[in-house]
Amino acid sequence: MALATQAQIEAVAAELTQCADIVHERLMKGVKRKEIERHEAQLVFQDEIILRQKANGLYIDAANCVVANLAETQKSLLTTIDTAKQKLKKIKDITAFIDLTADLIVLAAAINAAKPSAILAALKEVKKDVENMKEAAQFK
Amino acid sequence: MRFIQVTITFALTMLLFGCANLKEIQDFAGQSAKLSGYTELTTRFRDTYYREQPYLSGDADRLAQENDAQRKAAYQDLLTVHQSVTVYMQTLATLAGDESFDLSPGIDSLSSGIKAHPDLGIDRAQVDAISGLAKAISKWGTSSYQRRALRGFIKEGNEPLQTTLAGMERLIDYYQKTNDNEWKTIKGLLELELLFTDQPESKLLATLARAHTQTKAAEYQLASKKYLEAKKGIQTIANGHQLLVENLDKLSKQEVKDSLRQFSKDVRVINNHIESM
Repeated sequence: MALATQAQIEAVAAELTQCADIVHERLMKGVKRKEIERHEAQLVFQDEIILRQKANGLYIDAANCVVANLAETQKSLLTTIDTAKQKLKKIKDITAFIDLTADLIVLAAAINAAKPSAILAALKEVKKDVENMKEAAQFK
Repeated sequence: MRFIQVTITFALTMLLFGCANLKEIQDFAGQSAKLSGYTELTTRFRDTYYREQPYLSGDADRLAQENDAQRKAAYQDLLTVHQSVTVYMQTLATLAGDESFDLSPGIDSLSSGIKAHPDLGIDRAQVDAISGLAKAISKWGTSSYQRRALRGFIKEGNEPLQTTLAGMERLIDYYQKTNDNEWKTIKGLLELELLFTDQPESKLLATLARAHTQTKAAEYQLASKKYLEAKKGIQTIANGHQLLVENLDKLSKQEVKDSLRQFSKDVRVINNHIESM
């Protein structure tokens, strides 16, 4: 019998856990009433925890099912996030372009004034802006 | 000059009415992105065998080791489920943010560039006026772009987000049930062996075992609380986002903002609570 759906796996795991609970309850009662001696009790307990390990194993299977089922959903989310990032990038691009324009104006004035130090400083700023625009172009 | 002043005032007034106050959305998204607990509980799930190993032997131990290998194999994928929600919320916060769509700094630097060079022949006062106008118009333009981008994002993202959050809740449920079996194994062994440890020569052993059981009980009780809080957190985020998608056209209405503010508060309280545990 193959365990197909996540719900079925979950149900069997719950059953196994419940069985283990019942075994433990009976075991404790039996020992307290001196009906079961130590060695036998330990064997029964071993069986109980084997049931619990099997249940936990099934919970791992169920968890893997959830993850597998979410694969498509993850892709959907990522697509939505990508679209948003594109829109944010567009604004970032415009900002970078405005920065560039501002600094080009400064550069023009510096060239006009024919001051080498001012020209150098202005060129540095323009270079930074071009880098930013390139960076903005890679913004994913 | 006067004409420009009037135009600017008009533009600024339009700006105030046109802009939806998105701060509540930003807060909600920010808090939701920080959802505590899921990562910690996933790691706790992975480390189950480490905690239960001292109490296992024989076939049970062998089975437990198999489970351990499987949990370790699944760990990364379990974390990834959460990561996509975090990135979604961070993106939502950015979309709703003040600075993301603000072109004012760029316009400011443009106008100071012009002002610093009178030889370019533009009057200082005129530059101020024009840049003020430009900022108002760009804010208005980008704010409607922002609103459209935000609405599209929330609408498109709701279904996959709700499905993922439901999946995360289910996973925390499995973590909790695994934890229950772990605790019952530990408690079971201790209380069973204690029944056979009633001779005077084993008084120390019995005492140690009882003290140990107490410590462990407290530890597992605390863990229990974390599972519940984490599930509550996920449900609150799901409800908050549902509110957003159902009120896309009324995002600036006071009642929507108030409800959203309450959701943000709830998520923040839960986050703090989990972190303090």
